[in-house]
Amino acid sequence: MKVLMFTWEFPPLISGGLGMACYGMVKALLSLGVEVDLVLPTREIVYFPLRQPSDVDTLPAVFFEQSKQMLYSVQKFASLKERLEYIGISEYPESYFQLSEIQRFAESVTKEYWTSESISYHEQELFRQMTDNLVGEEDLIRKVQEFTMRADKFARVLDYDLIHVHDWLTYPAGMLARRISGKPLVAHVHATEFDRAGGPGDERVHKIEHSGMRFADKVIAVSQYTAQMIMSRYRIDSGKIRIVHNAFSIPDDAVRDKERIFKGPVILFLGRITLQKGPDYFMDIAHKVLQSHPEARFIMAGTGDMGRKLLRRSASLKLRHRFLFTGFLNRKQVERILRAADIYVLPSVSEPFGISPLEAMSFGITSIISKQSGVAEIVNHAFKIDFWDTDLWVETIKHLISNPDKCVKMGIDGMHEVNKIQWNDAAVKIRDIYNETLTEYSRNQD
Amino acid sequence: MLNIVFYFQVHQPYRLNHFNVLDIGKNSPLFDDKLNKDIMLKVAKNCYLPTNKLLLELIKAYDGRFKVAFSITGTAIEQFKQYTPETLDSFKELVDTGHVELLGETYYHSLAYLYDRDEFLDQVNLHRELMQKEFSYFTQTFRNTELIYQDSLSDIVYEIEGFNTIITEGVDRILQWRSPLYAYKNYNKRINLLLKYYQLADDIAFRFSNRDWPEYPLTVEKFVNWIDKLTLGEKMGRNQFLNLFMDYETFGEHQWASSGIFDFMRHFPAEVLKRSHLGFATPNQVAELANYQQESLSFPEPVSWADEQRDLSAWLENDMQKNAIETLYELLPKIKSKGDEQLLRIARLLSTSDHFYYMCSKYFQDGDVHKYFSPYDSPDQAYIYYINALAELDERLMR
Repeated sequence: MKVLMFTWEFPPLISGGLGMACYGMVKALLSLGVEVDLVLPTREIVYFPLRQPSDVDTLPAVFFEQSKQMLYSVQKFASLKERLEYIGISEYPESYFQLSEIQRFAESVTKEYWTSESISYHEQELFRQMTDNLVGEEDLIRKVQEFTMRADKFARVLDYDLIHVHDWLTYPAGMLARRISGKPLVAHVHATEFDRAGGPGDERVHKIEHSGMRFADKVIAVSQYTAQMIMSRYRIDSGKIRIVHNAFSIPDDAVRDKERIFKGPVILFLGRITLQKGPDYFMDIAHKVLQSHPEARFIMAGTGDMGRKLLRRSASLKLRHRFLFTGFLNRKQVERILRAADIYVLPSVSEPFGISPLEAMSFGITSIISKQSGVAEIVNHAFKIDFWDTDLWVETIKHLISNPDKCVKMGIDGMHEVNKIQWNDAAVKIRDIYNETLTEYSRNQD
Repeated sequence: MLNIVFYFQVHQPYRLNHFNVLDIGKNSPLFDDKLNKDIMLKVAKNCYLPTNKLLLELIKAYDGRFKVAFSITGTAIEQFKQYTPETLDSFKELVDTGHVELLGETYYHSLAYLYDRDEFLDQVNLHRELMQKEFSYFTQTFRNTELIYQDSLSDIVYEIEGFNTIITEGVDRILQWRSPLYAYKNYNKRINLLLKYYQLADDIAFRFSNRDWPEYPLTVEKFVNWIDKLTLGEKMGRNQFLNLFMDYETFGEHQWASSGIFDFMRHFPAEVLKRSHLGFATPNQVAELANYQQESLSFPEPVSWADEQRDLSAWLENDMQKNAIETLYELLPKIKSKGDEQLLRIARLLSTSDHFYYMCSKYFQDGDVHKYFSPYDSPDQAYIYYINALAELDERLMR
């Protein structure tokens, strides 16, 4: 079986959980014998033919244009990093595309796609909804337009059984590919605009999400929580929704032994400092806990649009040197901060899944997670609290600080539990969904 | 007679490393030795050495008729010794002429007066001892960090430390109709006050090389003519004091040599001394020269010489600055009671006012000045490194 997969994030191109999830998922799918042609928002127009598990780290690439492929194939690269830089893939999203080179989307996507006789009225409507909403001068929208036009190219030349896309940025690509190839489409929902925005969000994104999910043959939700959202907010037929929880596989080279930075208990927030993740709740909690436990240290790790505001708020609340900010951390630095933490806190307002707590638990850190999260559905050895119930978060943390033995035991139990949540199990479910989709698809063709 | 009183502030802080959370608890160095050295060597080359040489020539040439005052911080002296001992020697040579006054201040150029009176007195004494040791000089005039002054400061500076003169800013809202050209007394008439004449001082310190300034270029003749005019208002023969207080780094560092600042200074004394009613004095001569009943001035709220507001807002306005400094002064007594000299020294190096200046977020015209002086990208960064440094200090304290 061969899958054409479009995603916006994949290591080293990564800003959050989506990249981590795609990495773990694809690696496990490859070990099950599923072949994946991966398309990412790279600077050069390339795809990555992944055939064995180790390919997820080496990322073998093929250029769309033959002349460029010739040049690429004779290049000597001193390192993987150098080769990836040649392709235009790096840790910094700014390098995705050269904006000046992006053509106008509306002019380029030909109307034949939604005006042809062979397409149903229903499909035409969804297609029009997508193209009508993929408009705007924002950098991101223009990058998605460019990405979608590339999908047109790859969908025509590559050979595959099924299309798999991840979140709204790649839904237009998936819709286009399905139109061109007639192959079935699986739309994976890692997060919706409702989760990200913490409010109504961007109308265009909702429309694109809606048309993508409706257009898809199957929709995979990362949790029951997300499936509920897809049904209630997007009115997607529950019959085509499947739930596959994410997993966490610890990197082989990870060091997990405790290495303290502070003598007092360390409570960690790790993630984007943005409304969705509830960083302001974290600060409220810290403010209250510190009143009775000044020996505690609260660390906010990561960056985000609310970072500046919260830095100033930590000062105005006079949290002294007991609430600290790390700024951006690379993988190795994340590891070091996890090794130094005792309690992990994820007070997300809305978290479709949340891989980060699994990573924290794999380090033996006692975790407290928002009930409004998908990850809460699959772990037992963690505290689960409504994100808004600040007093309960405070009581729980104080209890753990006062009972360090209990805290350590909970952490170890959590670690054992998380070690069993492997991507392989998730990949088996995904492969079954592929099979089911293909069976139904061929039945419909007949 | 109008006496021109030059006082130059000589100060360099110990700037912090980009100290991150992951650096805590590992005995990582807190201060950026390389940056501090580079800056000290650069400023010594551009300012301290050439300006000291020039001033020495002028003092010798006019045989005591030209004189100046310096206030040199402990952190500057330490860095002279570490990186450029010849600079310290050249200051000693100046002091040895007998025509240079040294002022007293806090050793660490701190804001301790506002937060911890005991620490303030400790730092004042440390500085006095340092001046004795390095220059065999006993200081009699006091300048608080950044010319911060209020009534209550005069009490302890006079009663406990026995200084006889304090210098501060000639703030309009205090002076109102009065002129900064006269010597005043503090609120209870016990100690002399000299007030900076900021219009003319800032013409040299800030505007000298500004081509957009209508008076550019500032020539010695023009400047001395302005000074001359100031004497016209005095018809009763009272001695006036034109207090030109500024950062010493004005010469060659803030105003580059190419601006002509050195030539200006070289020719300034001659142009002044052509006129028999103009001369130079040092702050400790006020008592003998003030031939009139000195009016007393009250400063109920603190003033300073910084920014348009001339208050504490350059260091203590936003929440980051307040949280940072309050954290420091909460840790300080704990460090003192532990009796760890090394930690106390680090805490005191962190008390230097520059650290709080870097966190200033007033992004108006003054913000540019703050940016010019800051080794960090933003006030937020400065705050983060500083708070992390205090967290490190607390970890070492618990050891």
